[in-house]
This record gives sequence, structure tokens and C-alpha cells, in this order.
Amino acid sequence: MIAGAAVRAVSGIGSAFLGIALEVGSFGVLTARLARRLAPPDFDGTELRKNFYRMGVRSLPIVLATALFTGFIMTIQAGVVIGRYDAEGLIGWAAGFVTLREVGPILIALMFSGRVGANNTAELATMTVTEQVDGLRALAIDPLSYLVLPRVIAMVVLLFLLTVWGDLFALIGAAVMGEVMLGVSRHVFLRGLLDMLGLWDLATGLIKSAAFGLMIAIASCHFGLSVKGGAPGVGRAVNASVVAAAAGVFVVDYFLTYLLR
Amino acid sequence: MPPVVDIRALHKVYEEGPMRVEVLRGIDLEIAAHEVVALCGPSGSGKSTLLNILGCLDRPTSGVYSLGGRDVSTLDREEQAWVRLHYIGFVFQSFHLIPDATALENVALPMYYAGVARGEREERARAILGRVGLADRAEHRPNQLSGGQRQRVAIARACACKPRLLLADEPTGALDSRTGVQVLELLGELHREDGLTIVLVTHDMGVAAFAERQVHLQDGVVVDERRADASSG
Repeated sequence: MIAGAAVRAVSGIGSAFLGIALEVGSFGVLTARLARRLAPPDFDGTELRKNFYRMGVRSLPIVLATALFTGFIMTIQAGVVIGRYDAEGLIGWAAGFVTLREVGPILIALMFSGRVGANNTAELATMTVTEQVDGLRALAIDPLSYLVLPRVIAMVVLLFLLTVWGDLFALIGAAVMGEVMLGVSRHVFLRGLLDMLGLWDLATGLIKSAAFGLMIAIASCHFGLSVKGGAPGVGRAVNASVVAAAAGVFVVDYFLTYLLR
Repeated sequence: MPPVVDIRALHKVYEEGPMRVEVLRGIDLEIAAHEVVALCGPSGSGKSTLLNILGCLDRPTSGVYSLGGRDVSTLDREEQAWVRLHYIGFVFQSFHLIPDATALENVALPMYYAGVARGEREERARAILGRVGLADRAEHRPNQLSGGQRQRVAIARACACKPRLLLADEPTGALDSRTGVQVLELLGELHREDGLTIVLVTHDMGVAAFAERQVHLQDGVVVDERRADASSG
């Protein structure tokens, strides 16, 4: 009986591992097929512009609001320790270091995944189950060039740009809260930020944000295109896409943090 | 004039593991230029599989399919796509229009992939929309159009690249009977004026009666052929 349970456990682990390997392999194949369409560029410019608007302009308010409150929260949390050690001069550095390298890219990526990635999966999955993607193929329109690549490019570029804006608003939030709550002037905050941080700290976060954008884009497109099981399948695809994108963002973050440290 | 479609001993078999399903079992079919043919039959008779092969969306397991005198039964996917783009137009039961594109953009889209210049694309798309009676709906999105109007846009899109063969899969299946008749009349007009060869797939005998010839399939074989002006043959 114990042997049977052990076999079932090992079988379960093996099956889960194979499932993950299959999805990761599918991500790789989709990425390679899209990369082939980049040189020479083979994608629809009109679709790219539409996606920039839908995914970027409409995401800006929620990303900026989230970033601003993140800045507030960081200062409130740090304020206790900062006050205890009379280290107010470090608040700019602390907020900048955490925001630029980690919190900004991660939080904005998760926000972006929930809003844009999930929506993208739902759209593609609906088009797949209603045979619109097959319809495009019938018309000799390559769905990867027309539907997928413009979305992937838009998501990578937009997450990068949204992170720039999000970082800025998070730092503004931190500076405002530092002045209001801790009495640290904006000049002191700015000096701590500029004197103790370099361009590499900013670049690290932005490199991460582009990688997160690619991760979210590939996951959301893959689950959208590979949906099965009609309308209920769309819900499952969105769920799988959000989970895979979030987990993928943390895995990518781990490797990039190690490589860019 | 050689037939547009010439099919000889066509078989299609789907295999998955030990399962083997023979969907088409030796189809012979000729469709002349400028002919309107209806493929009829009950569900599972193989008519959609045959339509997919006619539309170069699938390949036969064996047999020969010549389109315009050229054997297209062994083309790879890219070559099939090229043939679809330049020789074949598709009309679907549920239209398959791009939801966030206007009628004009939907019609112009295949021409973009056919390499037609932007100015000419728009000019031709407007002209075709005019022909199907939707000149004043060019900037409307599919959700702003009725079912009949959507199917008209789909027909305009199918004709955008001047195909020789138009394949229509249950083109009136999602429409009420009056709108369905209007769509068939539009297809008839395009057939008469442009000399389009049209293949309709339908299980509705009223729609099949629109064709000059009805080809009846059952269990993957042609069991009957009738001309509009003659009985069983």
C-alpha cells in the first residue's frame, strides 16, 4: 500500500514536470516562430498602433495610481526604522534602490499581466474557439504576423515605458510621503537618490521590465491560441495564462537579479 | 476550357493512434469554369473535409487535386497559403470578420498580404463594398452591421483578391431566410458579372437549388449528381 502511494506520488510529480516542460517548450517554439517574423519585419503596423493605444494608453492611469501608492507605502514602512536611527538622509536612496531595481518592475508587471495579459488571452482564446483564427488562415493571413506579433511587440515596449513612468510616480509618492510624514525635505530625498544610485540601478529595472513584458506576452498569446473546450476553455486559458505569467515573472526576475547584480 | 477543379480518386484518412477514420473514399469531381456547384449531404458525409481540401486548407491522403490545371495536392503550407491568397476566396457561415476593424479594413486586409499598394487597396476595397451595396457602411465595425450586411462584407473580402474559385461554407446558415436569399442573389450577381466559379457547402436544399449542379455526398463518396435543368445523373 505504501509502495503504491509512493508510485502514485512519483507518477504525479513526473506528470507535473512533463506538463511544465511541455508548456515551457511551447513558449520556446512560439518565441522562435515570432523571432523568424522579425527579420525581415513581417507584422501588421495598423494592429501594432491599435495595440499601443489599447494596452498602453488605457493602462497608464491604473499603473500610475498603483505606483504612487507604492511610493507612499514604502516610505510609511521605512519611516519606522529611518526615524529610529536618525537616517533620514538615506530615505531617497532606499526608496530609489528598491523601486528602480525590484518593486517598480515587479509590481507594474503583475498589474500589466492582470489587466493586459489576461485580456489578451481572453481575446485570442475567443477568436480561437469561434474559429476566427482558422478563418484568417483560410484567407492566407498569417495569424502570428497579423494577430500575435503586434501584441507581443506592444507588450514588451509598453511594459518598458510604463515602468519608466511607474518608477517616476513611485519616487514622487515616496518623496511626498517622506516630507509629510518624516519631515525629510525633497532636496534631501533627491540628493540621497542621485548621489547614491547610478544609471545601472535604473537600467537593471528596465531590462527586467522588458523581459517581464516578453514573458507575459508569450504566456498570454500561447494560452490564447492553444485553448480547447469552447467557451469554458476561455476561462481556463485566462486563468492558466495569469498564473503562468506571474510565476514566469518571478523566475525570470530571479535569474536576472543574479545576472545583473 | 479546362476545368477549374479536377479531382481524381481523392481519399482522406485521419489516423490517431489505433483509430483510423476514412472521411473521403475515392471522390472524382470536375467543376468547370464559371460553374456554381452545391456540395450537399448530411453531417459527417465529408463535405466540409472536401471543402477544406478544395480550399487548400488540408491535403488529401491520396488522389490528385488540380486547381486551374496545376496539381495542388502535395503543396506545403506556404505554397497552399499562396494559392489561397491568389486563387481562392472563402465565405463562412459565421462571417469571421475582424471585430475591431472597419468594413473597409476587413475587405482591404487580404490585399495587404497579397502585396497590393495602400492606395490601391483602399480604392479597390471601397469599389467592392459599393458593389455589395455597402458603400455607406465602409467605416462601420462588424458589431454595427446586421447579419446580412456582415455576410456582404465577408463576400466583398472574399472577392478582394479577384479569386477564380469562391468557396462558401453554409453562407446563409446564420441568416434569416429573406436575408439568406439576398446573399444568394449577391453571389449570383458576382457569378454572372465576374464569371466566378462558386462551390457552396450546404445541407439546405433550398440553398442547393441556387446552384447549377448539386453534388450529393454520403459516407465520403459521391452518391448523386443533379443539374438544375435535369434529374439524377
